Parts: sequence; C-alpha cells; structure tokens
Amino acid sequence: MNLPQTDTCAPRAHQLAIEFTGSGSEYFRIWIVNLLLTLVTLGIYLPWAKARRLRYFYGNTLVGGEPLGFHGNPRKMFKGYVLIGVLFALYSAAGNFSVFAGAVALVLVAAIAPALLRASMQFRLANTSWRGLRFSFNGSQTAAYRAALPLLVPGAAIFVGLVAAMYVGVPPAWQSLMSLVILLASLGVLPWLFWKLKQYQHNNYALASLQTTFTASAGSFYRLLAQIIGVAVMVFALPLVLLAAWAFSQRGAAVGPGLFTTAVMSLLPLLAMFSVFVMVKPYLTSRLQNLVWTRTRNNALYFLSDLRFKALLWLTLKNWLLIVLTLGLYWPFAAVAQARLRLQAVTVYTLESPDLLVGQARAMEGDAAGDAAGDLFGLDIGL
Amino acid sequence: MKGTSGPVLPASYFDGINARAQPVSLQVQGPALRVTGELIDVALDLRDVTWPERTRHGIRVAHFKGGGSVQSADAAAWDAWSRGGGLHEPLVVRMQQNWRWVLASVVLLLAMAVGVQRWGLPLVAQAVVTATPLSFDVSLGRASLAVLDDRLMRPSKLPVAEQARLLAALAQALAAAPAGSVPAWELVFRDSRAGPNALALPGGTLIMTDQLVELVGHDTQVLVAVLAHELGHVRYRHGVRMLVQVTVLGGLSALVLGDFSTVLSAAPVLLGQASYSRQAEREADAEAVRLLKAARISPAVMVTLFDKLEETRSQAGKPGSGAVREESWLGIAFASHPADADRVRYFKEAAAR
Repeated sequence: MNLPQTDTCAPRAHQLAIEFTGSGSEYFRIWIVNLLLTLVTLGIYLPWAKARRLRYFYGNTLVGGEPLGFHGNPRKMFKGYVLIGVLFALYSAAGNFSVFAGAVALVLVAAIAPALLRASMQFRLANTSWRGLRFSFNGSQTAAYRAALPLLVPGAAIFVGLVAAMYVGVPPAWQSLMSLVILLASLGVLPWLFWKLKQYQHNNYALASLQTTFTASAGSFYRLLAQIIGVAVMVFALPLVLLAAWAFSQRGAAVGPGLFTTAVMSLLPLLAMFSVFVMVKPYLTSRLQNLVWTRTRNNALYFLSDLRFKALLWLTLKNWLLIVLTLGLYWPFAAVAQARLRLQAVTVYTLESPDLLVGQARAMEGDAAGDAAGDLFGLDIGL
Repeated sequence: MKGTSGPVLPASYFDGINARAQPVSLQVQGPALRVTGELIDVALDLRDVTWPERTRHGIRVAHFKGGGSVQSADAAAWDAWSRGGGLHEPLVVRMQQNWRWVLASVVLLLAMAVGVQRWGLPLVAQAVVTATPLSFDVSLGRASLAVLDDRLMRPSKLPVAEQARLLAALAQALAAAPAGSVPAWELVFRDSRAGPNALALPGGTLIMTDQLVELVGHDTQVLVAVLAHELGHVRYRHGVRMLVQVTVLGGLSALVLGDFSTVLSAAPVLLGQASYSRQAEREADAEAVRLLKAARISPAVMVTLFDKLEETRSQAGKPGSGAVREESWLGIAFASHPADADRVRYFKEAAAR
C-alpha cells in the first residue's frame, strides 16, 4: 500500500477492493432478450435495454463488498433519445441541404457538445448509488467549455484553410500541405484535449463528503501518446519485416515477382486493422486506465489501478477470435470478461470510514438527454 | 400476522442518507412492503419499489422511490421470499432466466436477420424507390459522372464515326423492344484508367469505355448486349435501391454489433451488399436477354465477352493472380458479381430457348 502521507501517525486508509460478479452466460441471456425486444419494437426498447444492461453491470460491481446501483429511469431516457434523435436527424439533413447549412450545423453541435458531456456525466453519476448514497458530478458549465478549449487549435487551422481556399485561391500543391498541417495540429492537441477532459471528469466525481482530485500532468499524456506511437510502429513493422525476409528467401525458388506484392497488398489492410484493434487498443486501454485512476488521488480518497497489458492483450485476442468464430454471439461473454479484468484491477482507498459517510437527502436526477447524446454522438464517458 | 402477509426475510437497509447498513426484516403485507428494524418501521407502497431482476449472480437490491434501499446477499432466500409474498416477475425476467426462451430468441433473431436480408429490405427498398422521383436518379447519376470523370475517366479516343455507329446500333436494337419497356437513356464514351468496363449510372447514362470496345474487337453485337445489360440496371433503378439497402443494413448492423466494434459491424453490410449486388446483376442479365431477343440478337454473343475477359486474365499470366481468381465460397460471398461460369451458362441456355 502506498499512502500519500509520510508521517506514521496518519490515519489508516480503508481499502476497498472492487469485485465483479457478473457472468457471461447470464449476460448473454439478458443481451439476447434485449436485442430481440429492441429489434421487434424497432428500437423503442433501446433505453429499457440500456437500463437493464447497466443495472446488471452496476449490480455486479461490488466496491468493498457493496454493489453499485443504477437508477436511470428508462422512460426519461427514452425522451432523451427522442430529443437527441431529432437533433441528429436535423444535423444529418442540414448536410444534405447545403454545404453551408452542414457547416453551421457542425459548428452548432460542436458548440453544445461540452454542455452535453456535462449533462451526460451528471445523469450517469446522479443515477449511480453505493450503500444507498447517490454519487454526484460537480463539474461546472464553464469548466466543461474550458476543457474543450484545445479543440480551437485544429478548428482555427481548418477555418484559416477554408477561408484561404475560398477567397485567396490556393494552388493544388498547397492543399495537401494544408491538410497535413491540420492533421498535425489535431494530433498535436489530442493528448492535451484528452488530459483536459479527464481532468474535468476526475476532478468532479463526488460521493457524500468524498470528492476526487485529478493529479496527472499533461506531460504524462504526451508521453503516453509517444509510447502508443512506438508500439503501433513496432506492431506494424515487425510482420512487414518478417514478410520481406520470407519473400527474400523465396526469391531463389523462381517465384514470380508479382507474388510478394500481391501478398503484401492483400495482407496490408488486414495487418493494419489487426494491429490497431487487437494490439494497440489494449495497450492504450491498460496504460490509460492505470494513468488516469492511479493519478486520481487526494488526502482522503485515492485509487490504485494495476491493469496489466499482457493480460488485457490475451483477453482481447481470445475475445476477437471467439466473436468472429461465433458470428458475434460471444460478445456478451467478452464484455463480461473485459469488465471483470478492468474493474478488478482497481482498488479504492479512503481515509473516511465508508460507514460514516452522510449524503444529501435528495440528489438531483440529471438530464437524460445528455445520456442519450453521449450514446449518439459517441461521447465515451468511460467511467 | 394477517392472512395476506408473506414470509419474513432478514435484510440490510440503507436509508439513502447514511452509508451505514441497518439490519431489518422485510415482509409483504397486502399492497405494501413492511420494513422493520431497530430504528425504522415503515410500510412502502409496492409500486414505489424497484425490484431486482432474478439473476444467478450478484446481490439482490430493491430500491425505493423516495431514496433508500434494502438488500440481501442470499439470493435463494430472497427469491423464495419474493415468491412467497406473491410478487410477480416481469415477462422479460422469466424469458431471460429460461434457456428455452433464450434459445427461441436466438433462433428468432437469426430468422429475423435472414428474413430482413432476403425479403424485408428489398421490399422496403422497392417502396422507397417507387416513392422517389426519377429526377433524384438523374441528379445522382450526374454527380457520379462528375466524380468518375475527375478520378477514373478521360475523354474517349474513339473516332466520332465509330461512336455514332455504336449509338445507332444500340438505338436500333432498343427500338425493337415493346414500347414503354425501355427507360430514357444516354450513351457516352470514355477512356478508362481502370481497364475495360461498361457502367450504368442512375438516371440512364450508360458509359462505354474505349478499352471494352477494343477488348471485344469492335464487335457491335457484343457491345449492344453489354449495354442492354447495363440498361437493365437503369430500368430497375439498382443504384438508388442499393443506396437504400446499404443505408438500412448499416443502421441495423450498427445497432446489433456497434457496441462491440464498428469495424466488425461493417462485415454484415459488406456481405449483404455483395449479395444484393449479385442479385441485381442477375436481374440485369435477364433484362439483357429480353432486349436482345426482341432485337433478334442471340444472347449467346454475351459469351464472347466472358471469353475475352478470361483470355486477358490468363494472358496477364501472373502466377499469383490465378490463386486470387479462384472462386472459393469465400470469394463468392464477397463478390459483387455471380461466378462467370454461371452467367455464361445462363446466356447459353437463353440462346437455346
């Protein structure tokens, strides 16, 4: 155990292990019934399905032996889905109507996205309970917009590029250079943006008198990006080198020159997909979870996340293989196994006795539209 | 105890304000849940209680509308207590706890997937296509032509006289078809950067490439046959139909597999799209046969095209390409066209009839 205090008379921390008791075969049955009802009702059942899925996963997540509870009201979630669905339809229609309308819609969506993220966090936390107490998310609206600030950099680059293309007239040779600048600008601010968003989330989770504090630095996120690029290059380059070596050894055997190119060409997209989804993603997931949760700490409450890349890599490989072999039917088993590995890697330490926590009498419920927006616009709140 | 009372269950109670658990006992009394402990004695309306689903794992927790909850780690005792108190389970829970229902759901889902793919979607697409004005096809075709000209095509190098001769031959052949069975069309010639091909765009623009004219040795009848096939795509509005089918298929696939992997959810779309495409090719082949017969041209001329295509393939003579071309079932599943041998047989049989 790794206490932040150095003095010996510091109060002893309560260690709360996280245990996940869900089972694949059980979630399979929930999933298949959910799926059937969702398809039969043409999607109307979706919020009910989501609520039942979350109730199962939360109810089987035991923190210090006590389960979490999900209280989202599917009826409210349904209204949120309808509202966001209409917005989404309008957004898609605007793009078909004219390029200008599409651009306006995009700017509008970008403008409300931070507010939606906040609403989605509020909804999720306010509808989660532990030991009868509701969690809350205390992030302010201003802070949400401040967290999205890094997006202005590529945004400005794109804007300048568009204006230049429209009014000044840019030679074609410059166009690719400009896209490269925009791409680099986006990649460059990505860790910064991610750090800001995680900071916004992890500074504002609260339960009764406990509140989390995020202590990771922006630099650690840039280091993580560098590592990921390194892993990606390695994963991508290694099979390529092997392939080249094989082809070279075959050269003597009078094989036509087309064979190597054909093999590489047909394997390359597969290789790229494989490396990104099966190798790089688990690396990113494990390192990010450990970084984000282990650096969420203050004097009263801190976390330890020890998610091993190797364990997650094997699990991912196994999940992918079985999902493909079963044409998708293994997915619920995979989801449960992944949740177990990721959740059980985390331990919570608190200096306050969990028995003595006192919450507010009536916590606010949060806006279900935010939750639906999180689903539809792919804002992964990734608790 | 009153006669309407159920059994008693020991449980833990959280009041929603304090995180400390209190030992209580639970009992269903008529329309209410009675919670009794050292510091508490309340009767809650059963409708204000969110009951846990019966599952094999996990702790049973019932949440109260006004805040607070009761729970028990002894799932078997809870379930017996719940049954004894006369609490009803929703149908969904009974479904998912019964392997027979689960199996039925799997079978039903697979049947639905097949039904939607084979009949549902084509029907929906047909309805959408019927409701869509032809002007949409025309504008779609115009946009496609612009993209093609930009990326894949150059102006044709065929002599104007040759172009006129082919145009006249096609017009003459089509004039023999029953009135009203031929959609409006327009023939254009292009120099292709992607090998010999003929294309039909929505709205009726037929593209003939110089490379295809040369491939079949300027054989007018073969070219008319190819264009008749392309005209089949125009008549059945395959372009718009495909658009509808792929969009709906993509939505459904994302719904089912989207929360696992967006990449994997593209696989059913690819497979479904390929299957629809092969079906469209067969429809267009049938239309070609109809038009050719009306114009008194033997459908067997189409066989020439396949022979020539095969010839160029074997002339290219790459050892690797032979393996790639091999028509395994996997290749067929992803192929946009039916196997050449099947199509050759189809045209030969049509000629004999």
